[in-house]
Amino acid sequence: MIKATRKGIMGNGIETAKDLTDSLSSKSYRGSVTFASEPADEQRKMLEEICPTKALFSVRESNVMGLDNGKCIMCGYCGEAAKIIKISNKPVPPARMRGQIIGYSSTKFSQEKSYEQIGNELKGKIQKMFGRSLSIRQVDAGSCNGCEIEIAALNNPVYDIERFGIHFVASPRHADVLLVTGPASRNMEIALLRTYEATPNPKIVIAVGACACSGGIFGDTYATTGGIDKIVPVDVYIPGCPPRPEVLLQGLLLAINRIPHDGSS
Amino acid sequence: MNNENLENYAKEIAAKFSNKIKKSWQDNDELHLDVELNEMQKICDHVYKNLNARLATIICSDERKNTGSFVIRYVFEKGSAFIFVIVSTNDSFPSIASSVPAAALYEREIRDMFGLIPAGSPDERPLVLHEHWPDGIFPLRKEFELGTKAKRQEKDYPFLRVQGEGICEIPVGPVHAGIIEPGHFRFSVMGENIINLETRLFYTHKGIEKLAESMRIDDALLLSERISGDESVANSSAFCQAIEKIARVDVPRRAKKIRTIFGELERIYNHMGTLAGISTDASFPFGAARLNILKERMMRLNESLSGSRILFGVNRIGGVRCDITDENKKLILETLNQTAGDFDKIMVLLRSKSSFMDRLRGTGTIPRKVAHDLGIVGISARSAGIDVDTRYDHPYADYDLHNHRTPQELMKHEIEMEKRTGDALARFEIRAQEVRDSIGIVGKSLDLEDGSLFASVPERLESFRSSLGWAESHRGQTLHWVMTGEDNSIFRYKIRTASFCNWPAIEQAVSNDIVPDFPLVNKSLDLSYSGNDL
Repeated sequence: MIKATRKGIMGNGIETAKDLTDSLSSKSYRGSVTFASEPADEQRKMLEEICPTKALFSVRESNVMGLDNGKCIMCGYCGEAAKIIKISNKPVPPARMRGQIIGYSSTKFSQEKSYEQIGNELKGKIQKMFGRSLSIRQVDAGSCNGCEIEIAALNNPVYDIERFGIHFVASPRHADVLLVTGPASRNMEIALLRTYEATPNPKIVIAVGACACSGGIFGDTYATTGGIDKIVPVDVYIPGCPPRPEVLLQGLLLAINRIPHDGSS
Repeated sequence: MNNENLENYAKEIAAKFSNKIKKSWQDNDELHLDVELNEMQKICDHVYKNLNARLATIICSDERKNTGSFVIRYVFEKGSAFIFVIVSTNDSFPSIASSVPAAALYEREIRDMFGLIPAGSPDERPLVLHEHWPDGIFPLRKEFELGTKAKRQEKDYPFLRVQGEGICEIPVGPVHAGIIEPGHFRFSVMGENIINLETRLFYTHKGIEKLAESMRIDDALLLSERISGDESVANSSAFCQAIEKIARVDVPRRAKKIRTIFGELERIYNHMGTLAGISTDASFPFGAARLNILKERMMRLNESLSGSRILFGVNRIGGVRCDITDENKKLILETLNQTAGDFDKIMVLLRSKSSFMDRLRGTGTIPRKVAHDLGIVGISARSAGIDVDTRYDHPYADYDLHNHRTPQELMKHEIEMEKRTGDALARFEIRAQEVRDSIGIVGKSLDLEDGSLFASVPERLESFRSSLGWAESHRGQTLHWVMTGEDNSIFRYKIRTASFCNWPAIEQAVSNDIVPDFPLVNKSLDLSYSGNDL
């Protein structure tokens, strides 16, 4: 919980998240799907059947169950259906490759850094690389606006992303990073491509949320393209439905590490 | 009481059009009239003008396999009743847009998605499917495969052109400057004054209605939560209610109360976000920052209660998925008490800033006549003095318990309604008031009865039964119509959110305002792009 500052809402107390306890997800948060034990054959079949986005899948010719976090929308249906599945409040970390956000029944996730630690690390890197702040352009390519709520939350006084030298800009021509949400609707395809082309090099594209990673619940239909990597090259995938602000920041850190020092991309 | 009303409407319409009505029947709050295609215009006219009903939605469905034709249902809302005027057609149908202006958008939608021609429609441009979509392919027809990738075609969209000396065009979007959803706005301006605004939406069209037809009912519930992420509780409640009526399930009182609590929590955090947005767009970031702190506080409360910061996963068919324990109750009360006090302080501050209030006063005015003709809903309608609120007009969840006003209060309310001016300030004040009301409703709903969280739902639902479900989101009425198919499938899922009704109002609201006021007007109307585009 956010502690009430001594001077109340109108005073000059500090509301920004400082340490891990400030931004720790509550116990009931649905952050990731974990396996308590290896699922048996019939359980795997049942789980595959129950998952609405086909995020859970049997790995061929083995007893392992795969979990594509890029598809998972954290509905929790699998946890209700099978006891061996535990819904953990630890969010899935972002990854650079689409394959890296696919977990297996043996993988475990942990988040060891606090929001502010990630932020400060990011700030140092941005300074070193650009000698200035990092500019982000957000592009909604058909999202349900859930991801927008979380991205907008990065700008509120609690997360206050500007203190790390990151800000949101109004035009792709000013941007270093494109933060793209949504399953890329067919009607946004050309607009997204043009936005990408208008962004100067070196540029980074981040797919935010299950929809942008894989199409999510909207899948690949006549009106969607099933993930933004079908349209523009993606550098970092952030799973979640929607991803928490801390995870968005983690994704940005990962993206910065990817920019080559010579400036080519 | 309600059935009596339906009876009266049925008699009244039958008296005038007795030989034109093929069949009429009642179902819950719905009066269905099956009529001849060529008499439909007159009957709709009568219901709209003489009964003074509001056009709630127009539903088309492809029932060629069952009945041999497409069926179009014109749904009018009158008091607590819904009147369905039903016609069958195979190629075209008469347009009613010239007498019922709100019908224009629905007719364009039907032309795009079903390929039926509204004869005499004033606007023949495409709506949902953009100019790249090839002619002759209609996604909601049953023979259309969900995964079809249509080949793009080159074509231009004809915008309305305003001509004359000194008229300038400003195209904006679809990618906007802020962190918001995509849409295109075409301003025709004379200096700073907006002469005409044309909105072009449906950039986020994801084919939700078609997709639902391929889903299990439980999965479609998840889909309904994602129609518009910030109104997840309202939309999923409406969907659940439609299915519950089809299955004839009674939701336990405890579950109803929990639905009410989450519905109101959703309203509170979104209204705070909108008020913060209004403050930003009126160039007062201090107020916005403070309100955003409160919004974050509410979102953390959401997370502790439901496991999702934006309240995904609250509902299930027959009841709710997450319980409110005694410990949670304490948390809710503590948070709300603190938030209510802080909220009042911020409101006092905002109201004391004359530069802020001046920016809102008289900006983005929606005249009452316009609001009536476009059939707008929610806060935008209430700000123009039209008293519509689905929570009280069609009590769902637990709202029948909150609908008591003394005669004095009622009188006060009516006088208040008459005074409303339909500008951004009116919407700002109503929102602030609703936050307080919602906090009150949550407080009152916390005395939960013991009981189960959900009622059991029959394994198999009757096929080809249909029903309406509704809810009042923070934007206004959201109306869902579901028809079941064979084997527990969904045959047709028609969604009409508040945004679909309210978007046309923005074109009217900004005329004669200046361009820099547009973001402020837009925010004060609080419209969802995704909820509109589906």
